[in-house]
This record gives sequence, structure tokens and C-alpha cells, in this order.
Amino acid sequence: MSRTLERGVVIAAAVLTLVFFVLPVAYLVSVSFKTPDDVLSGDFLPGLPTLANWPKAFEVTALAGFIGNSVLISLIAGLLTVAVTLPAVYATTRLGYQAKWLPGAVLSSYVAPPIVALIPLFYLMKACGLINSTLGLTLLYALMNVPVAFWLLGPFLRQVPAEIEEAAALDGAGPVQTFLRIILPVVSPGVLATLIIAIILAYDEFLLGSALTFADATRTLPVGISLFQGERLVNFGQMAAASLAGIAPIYLLALIGQRWLIQGLAQGGSK
Amino acid sequence: MAQDSSRSGALALRAGAIDGFSGGPGRFARLDLLGSLASGRWLWTAPVVAGLLVLSIYPTIFLVALALSNSRLGRPFQSFAGLNNLLKAILDPAFQAALTRSIAFALASTAVELVLGVAVAVLMTRLVKAGRFLMSLILLPLMTPPVMVAVAWKLILAPVGGLANGTLQKLGLIGEPISFFGSAAGAWSSVGLADAWQWTPFVAILAYAALLAYPKEIDEAAMLDGAGPWARFRLLMLPFLAPSLVSIALLKLVIGFKLFDLVFVLTYGGPGFETTTAAFHIWRLALEQFDAGRAAAETLLFALVVGLVTWPLTRWQHRLEVREA
Repeated sequence: MSRTLERGVVIAAAVLTLVFFVLPVAYLVSVSFKTPDDVLSGDFLPGLPTLANWPKAFEVTALAGFIGNSVLISLIAGLLTVAVTLPAVYATTRLGYQAKWLPGAVLSSYVAPPIVALIPLFYLMKACGLINSTLGLTLLYALMNVPVAFWLLGPFLRQVPAEIEEAAALDGAGPVQTFLRIILPVVSPGVLATLIIAIILAYDEFLLGSALTFADATRTLPVGISLFQGERLVNFGQMAAASLAGIAPIYLLALIGQRWLIQGLAQGGSK
Repeated sequence: MAQDSSRSGALALRAGAIDGFSGGPGRFARLDLLGSLASGRWLWTAPVVAGLLVLSIYPTIFLVALALSNSRLGRPFQSFAGLNNLLKAILDPAFQAALTRSIAFALASTAVELVLGVAVAVLMTRLVKAGRFLMSLILLPLMTPPVMVAVAWKLILAPVGGLANGTLQKLGLIGEPISFFGSAAGAWSSVGLADAWQWTPFVAILAYAALLAYPKEIDEAAMLDGAGPWARFRLLMLPFLAPSLVSIALLKLVIGFKLFDLVFVLTYGGPGFETTTAAFHIWRLALEQFDAGRAAAETLLFALVVGLVTWPLTRWQHRLEVREA
């Protein structure tokens, strides 16, 4: 009897969890098909679904441009993050090079909230002529996500058996060759997970993006969406459609890469 | 294997830096440095070191200089201000309140989401196949841009046209719509709800990963001895998870201090200044009032507070790590 009860509790909890995590996105979808009058009802489903919000959201704002900027910036920034971090993690965890302080310093730098760097970066970007530019944001995001990449990549590299490296060394391979030909293929799932997470973090960033860009041509999606608030789009339906259009690339990436994502997060959390 | 989980190089924020410096005899370290310069070894880490310079070292130095000056955002370093900015920041009740809110939110959201996340993790271990599905699903909130998370919850909680008010009214539970963003408690609950939606999955996935190493035999033996599910969780599973939870809590605490986007979109610091956190306070001071000098002073104080609040947990995590090593 108590077993059935336990089973019942588990299923009830599962349903509750499912509803909680699906509800906001589901409601976003629903509202994106609602007419302005229909929105006022506060019903879950649209009364008479309309498709008008979707094209309208792209018309009233530079939505396509925002999405384009975000996709481009986050892809390049993510690749750069991994390209910069991977050799450093390899050098500090496997080669026993200099800079034992580096992992500690990199990870501690993650503790400071982004607002701490905001004002200094504002002046730096201005001085470098990189303010209000997608290139500036790309470089910034690439460096900003290094600590997370460091954290994620560490466990993957530590798990590579030393014999592999020793065998490569016996064959006369130098550290660079060993790294590229031997290590990289072995840790590729971790690299992929880190890449996806770095891309998503760059895509999602808002604070620096909003302070360092001031034209539609350079704005990223979260910045663009935040401007819709009250200004050009008072319309809930259009706001929902715009938000969904912006989330779509990320969800697509997350769904394609979920296997690596979960593995990557799980590894990062454990050792 | 299992115990390793706490060793998360996660935040080896500890005194890693200091250990490194005090480590070897200076002379050898210098020789080693010259050797590595000659061999090109430094190239492996150079870009990351450059990143640290740009994002940590330079901002710290610049903030100190800025805090000591009278600076407008458009015209920095107009004159020397001494400790004026710092004193003003420390004595400003509005900033003190904002700091307190940041600390309270970081601690409270960590506590709540740790409990919820562990619950979801245990649930996923119970569901087996459906658990994998649930895991893929909760990955999505974690990946959603916080600005969009805020938009989604704003639509649900809106006084007019919001799902929450619509449903409550239809059920006859309330007559008039509730203005969730009109009171301090309501606004904070809204921010907390959106934050829990986004970050509970993070805790759940990490806790689930740690639970994969949990020895099932112990659980089964305890069950045969007549231990109920709650007793088994409290006496066996929770102690097993504890080291991992310290690491996860530290991460979530750090993330909690980064709160900005949700406040910006959901409440804009209101009603009044009720949800104005330190980050939001600094942001308005710098980008709406252009008082860069005072904002820099506040930024330094905020960074100090974040360091102080996370420090005990950092030490704790470090101790666990040392014990296992």
C-alpha cells in the first residue's frame, strides 16, 4: 500500500514539475497567437488564434537584425572562448607548466558580478573605438566566458589517461602535436559541451550589451527585446512572438546538443 | 569516485593564487619563468592571462582611480576627490538598503533553489526513463536568455491579461486582479519565481550527476531494515550529497549576486526602490545620473561585499577538497 502511495507521490511531483517548467514558454506561445482584445481575457488558450503578431513583430522593430547580430556574435565569441581556454587548461592541468596560480585566479574572477567591470569596460571600449560595435561585444563575450569554460573543460582534461600522452611522447610527438592529434579527439565531447554553453552565455548576455551599444545595427537580441518594453511594442502578442523568435535559435542548439550539454554540466559539477 | 564530486575544480577560488606564489623558492621560479619565456610555453596561457588583465586587473585599478576622482560618465577624472565618493557611498542609506537586498536575494534564492533542485534531482532518479526526458526539458529554462525569462513571467503575472490573475479570477478566488509588481513582497516573489524557474534546473542537473554515484545497495539495505523514504533521504542520501551541495551552493550564491536582467525587465527596481539591488543601483547611478566617480566607489564596495559573503562557503569547500585529497 505504501509503495503505491509512494508511486503516486512521485508521479504527482513529476507532473507538477513538468507544468511549472513548461508553463511560461507555453503561455508565451499561446499569447503570440492572441489578438490584443484576446490578451485581456487572461485565458490560457487564445480564443480566436491570429498569425498577425509574428510578421508584425519583425515589422515594428529591427528583430531580424537583432537576431542576426546575436547569432553572429555568440557563434564567434563561443569559438574564441574555447580556442583561448582549451590550451590554457591543457597547459595547467596536463603539462604542469608555470602559472599554478592561473586556474584559481581565473575561477575567482567569475565571482565578481558583471556590473563590477561595466564602468571600466565602458571607457576601455570607448578608448579602443570598440564601443557600439559588434566586434567589441564579440571580443568581450569571448573573454568574459573564459572562467566558465575553464571550469567545464578542467574535468575532461584531467580524466585523460597519462599513458596516452606517454605513448605519444615516446613516438616523438611534441606537446603541440600531442595536444592537437591525441588529446583533442579524446576530449571532443567536453569541448563540444563547452562550446555550446559558451555560445549560449554570449547569446543570453544583457547588461554589457545594453550599456555598450546604442543603435539597432549593433544591438543584440536581449537588448532589443528589453527595448520593446513599453516603447514600440505595447502589444503583448507581438512581444511574445518577438521573444519566441529570439529564443528559437537557442532552443534549437540546446536540443541538438543536449547529450553533450548534460554530460558537460554533469562533469563540471563532479570533480 | 563519488566523493570526488565536491572537488569540483568548480570554484577553486580558494587561495589558489596565493599558493602558487608562495610555492617554490623564488630563484627557481625566476629561472623557470625565463625558461618558459624562451621555450614559448607562455603562449599556451597568454590569451587567458590577457583576458584576466582586461576583465579583472584593469577594472580593479581603474575603479580605484575613478572612485578617488570627481568623474562624470562623459568626462572622467575632472578633479581629485579623495575619499569623498567612498564616504558618500558608505553613508548613503539607499545604497546600504540596495546592498542588503543583494545579499538577501543571493542567500534566499540559493537556499530555496538548493532545496527545490535536490527535490527535482531525486525525482529524476526515481523516474528513470521519464527522468531523462525531464532532464532534457529543464535544460531549456536554464538556456533561456534571462530577459526572455522575465518577459514570459511578466506576461503570466500581469494585472491585466496575465494568466495568474485571469485564472484566479475565473476560479472566483479573487475579485479584483492582484498587482504583483505593486508591493515589495509581490515584486520580490515575482523576481524569485522567475529566478527559481531559470536556476533550479542548474542545481537539479548538478545534484543528479552527483547522485549517479550513489550506491543503491545501501539504500536497499536500509529499506529492508524498514527505513522509510524520508529517513533514507535524510540519513543516507543527503550526507552523501553534502560535499557536492557545498560546491553547488557556492556557485548559485555567486550567480545570485549577478541578478540584474530580471530586475530590469520585471520591476525596474520598483515599486519605489523596493527591488533595487546593488547592481541596479550602480547601473542607474552610472548610466542614468552619469556619476561615474560615485558609481565606481559603490562598485568597489559591492565587490567587497560579494567577496565577504561568499568567503565562508569558499573556505568550507576548500576544506572538503583538502580532506578528500
